Amino acid sequence: MKLVLAVILGSLFGFALFYVGAASPKKIQSMLRLEDLSLMKIIVFAIGFSSVLLALSIQVGMFDITHLSIKPMHFGVVIGGLIFGVGFGLAGTCPGTCLAAAGGKGRRQALAAILGGLTGALLFAVSYDWWKGLGIFDMMDLGKRSLFVISERFPSVFSLGTGGLLVVGGLFMLIAYVIPLQGRRTKK
Amino acid sequence: MSKQKWMIQALVLGTVFFLATWIVKPVGVSTQFSILSGKMYQAVDSSLIQENPTREHGYQSSNAYYDKEEGKLAEEIMHPITYDFVFVLAIPLGGFIAYLFSKKKRKTEETSEKSSCPLEERRQGMLRTYGVSFLGGVLLLYGARMAGGCTSGHMMSGMMQGAVSGYAFAAAVFAVAIPVAIYRGRKGGRR
Repeated sequence: MKLVLAVILGSLFGFALFYVGAASPKKIQSMLRLEDLSLMKIIVFAIGFSSVLLALSIQVGMFDITHLSIKPMHFGVVIGGLIFGVGFGLAGTCPGTCLAAAGGKGRRQALAAILGGLTGALLFAVSYDWWKGLGIFDMMDLGKRSLFVISERFPSVFSLGTGGLLVVGGLFMLIAYVIPLQGRRTKK
Repeated sequence: MSKQKWMIQALVLGTVFFLATWIVKPVGVSTQFSILSGKMYQAVDSSLIQENPTREHGYQSSNAYYDKEEGKLAEEIMHPITYDFVFVLAIPLGGFIAYLFSKKKRKTEETSEKSSCPLEERRQGMLRTYGVSFLGGVLLLYGARMAGGCTSGHMMSGMMQGAVSGYAFAAAVFAVAIPVAIYRGRKGGRR
């Protein structure tokens, strides 16, 4: 049953990524160059909207909070994010979107990114010990911390509950609404 | 693009994210790259993972990364048919369905776009395009595994739940990705 759900939800996710244009490296790079900002509007709004849905469903007791999962914060998140950013800017794709693109037009380019990704994941596994020795996973260690109290399992920054998440979600939607569709003009 | 289309697209994406979390768990992708590449590693080096019933996940690995958290990844490499793995395998399927829909719509646009690119330029750009994509992929997953998640897991699922790590990841990613993309655009390296 879980695997059936995996197929349905996974393909829904792939469908949505492709539908919003996130499967196109051109579109992502245009967003990162701050030219065509439509994708940024979409992503910021989507994060806000899902946050609002999450906060509301927890408040009315329709959400099984054991489903929540907060990832730990440590210095590796920052260094990893910086490395990820270089790849993101270069290739204009990310681990999820290159998979969605593998089913569509930029198929071969997406496959190149996937093969690169498998290589990168392997390289990390091999070099993990070295990074661990440097102690980056122990620096800036804030644990599985969330901004607001959403579950007893996770420590929080503020003592506010899901109301805080609701407000932040609304704020994200508002910011997305204000972001212009067209940013910097393309220089040709 | 029509003025309100972006909002419909955003509502679809946001709803899918919420649905996945509501029904099963938050969306995550990058871990499965570790599982699949670990499976390949194991095919070459069969001593990589061994059974160890005393541990929580029942396995141990000579590699410290697969071995961490009581052999959690080691177990998934041995038994990869999990919800997360199948979810990730289904992403291209959904992409393909969306592609079929979009193809019907803009068949006319596409043909004009293709012919505008000279053959010679296309051939020359080929190696660069695929090479850059491959290199990009290497960096993406190296970084994502170090951070413990990618755009899906950290940025979208994480920020949706108000995770501190999600905000930190997003800030680090965009601080670098924006200048890199602008620089690459200036160099004429746009694909």
